[in-house]
Amino acid sequence: MDVGLRSELQRHGIFVTTLEELYNWGRSNSLWPLGFGLACCAIEMIAASMARYDLARFGAEVFRPSPRQADLMIVAGTVTKKMAPQVVRLYNQMAEPKYVIAMGACAISGGPFKQGYNVLKGIDRYIPVDVHIPGCPPRPEALIHALMTLQQRIAAESLVGPNRPRHLRRDQPGEFPVPEYGSHDLIPPKNESIWRPPVIVRSG
Amino acid sequence: MLCLLDSDEVARLASVGLVLSHIGMDGGSTEYLTLGIFLVAACLFALMPLGLARLWAWRFAPTKPGPVKNSIYECGLESQGDAWRPFKSAYYLYAIVFLVFDVEIVFLLPFAVAFGGLPLGAVLAMMLFVLLVVEGLLWAWAKGVLRWS
Amino acid sequence: MESTETIRLRILEAVPGALLEVVPNGAPVGQPSLLVDPEHALAVARFLRDAPGLQFDYCSNVTGVDWLDREEEEIVRDRVAETGGEKKIEEPRKRVRPGYLEVVYHLYSMALRHGPLVLRLRTGNRTDRVRLPSLTPIWRSCEFQEREVYDLFGVVFEGHPDLRRILMWEGFQDYPMRKDYVEPDDYEYEPTPHDDVWEKARRHYPAPTVGSGGETSGNPGS
Ligand code: SF4
Repeated sequence: MDVGLRSELQRHGIFVTTLEELYNWGRSNSLWPLGFGLACCAIEMIAASMARYDLARFGAEVFRPSPRQADLMIVAGTVTKKMAPQVVRLYNQMAEPKYVIAMGACAISGGPFKQGYNVLKGIDRYIPVDVHIPGCPPRPEALIHALMTLQQRIAAESLVGPNRPRHLRRDQPGEFPVPEYGSHDLIPPKNESIWRPPVIVRSG
Repeated sequence: MLCLLDSDEVARLASVGLVLSHIGMDGGSTEYLTLGIFLVAACLFALMPLGLARLWAWRFAPTKPGPVKNSIYECGLESQGDAWRPFKSAYYLYAIVFLVFDVEIVFLLPFAVAFGGLPLGAVLAMMLFVLLVVEGLLWAWAKGVLRWS
Repeated sequence: MESTETIRLRILEAVPGALLEVVPNGAPVGQPSLLVDPEHALAVARFLRDAPGLQFDYCSNVTGVDWLDREEEEIVRDRVAETGGEKKIEEPRKRVRPGYLEVVYHLYSMALRHGPLVLRLRTGNRTDRVRLPSLTPIWRSCEFQEREVYDLFGVVFEGHPDLRRILMWEGFQDYPMRKDYVEPDDYEYEPTPHDDVWEKARRHYPAPTVGSGGETSGNPGS
């Protein structure tokens, strides 16, 4: 609908909307995170959900104990290689539509433990991440900012057409392969179909 | 089923029913017609959201079942065995004893609030009620329900 | 607390035949440690826990150290008979000291409030003679920490009640804290590599096309 007409109508007290907008409005304001934390970043996540930072203002305070009821996974903390299969399995068990926020340096890249033997270098090697928050740990405000970014993304999603999000497309997978424990590393070490690092060409 | 409707709805439906009953036949069967309309409306009211949700899901939310997604949830670990396994019956006894005290609170709280203005009879009745509950607890205690072995 | 040297003498009295050595510590703390031979370790530990005046009833920390093979240079002094007298010669000789794994225990006494006493146990080498006695029967707090040493260094503790990996998964084959551990190569994406990470990341870079003028992105001037 024409924006001008819409605001004109609004001035006369008539609000028009589309089904899509209504649907996305409802979804983006009731994001229920899965209640789990992996390391120190989880403390900031807990702080964000408590009274001082009050994640409830954005409808995301209902931390669900079961993935069946959650639609947002906040990967808050260090994902060790031993934990990675469990995280992927939890993600798979969540109902669509589902979103992922990778919180903190560890979850997005391995962080301070990047060169260690046991830390996954970013959870986006196995599951698609919607919002990354840098920081060690990110402040609760940063998590709230990430949540608002995600809400904006959800509000902009279209229900039909070629630009539909992943969960609305029948040809896109609803679950991703869970890595196995190998003798030296996880097998496979990354999911090539979703993790494509930018190619860095350097001389020398 | 009627309890699904709020009072406005009931009033509106009732007026529709009355109008229909005036238009339609008169005599003894009209009250039953009203009842029938109520029944149909109530059923529709209950089923329509479900139907709409179903329609929405079919059109906009493709289901994507998979072996991992449908597997038993066990904190992300691979589940061991089946979810349909017997639980210790002591859990249920515990739950019942808990429920007794849960319900008791529902009565005790308003009683405590209105305590100042209550006649002696009400206090005695409440004491009796508490006594019954305590007796239940003592019985459970004597039976060894509170002991976890 | 008695000095490590007196403790050593007391142990020698109680556990005859034990091979003990006080290892000095050059660091500012100057905390010497007691090297115990594996055969008598259990008896020594029991003595340390029970002996009056020592009563080390609490093992606060178990850790491992990996010592690689080391080349040591020693100077051999010799006198060689020569015409018209003797001549001193000094020739440097290289000697390879084989590596070993070392397990370090820090003991405290809760009853007498003293400590720490540092015990060291050494394995024969780093490959096949890596068995050491477990001190879990003496100090229960060693259980998980010895499992950790087993997991990360590969020291096999005999007499441990439940020797499994604790941090890495079952089926993992390397010992990650050993100095020659080769980590899996997942350096595909390193936006800011440096030092040896730079070398590892470089293996993933596509070969620079000849004559393209070098720089395409990032890291100018390298
Ligand atoms: S990013 Fe920093 S604060 Fe967050 S889990 Fe990692 S180490 Fe902890």
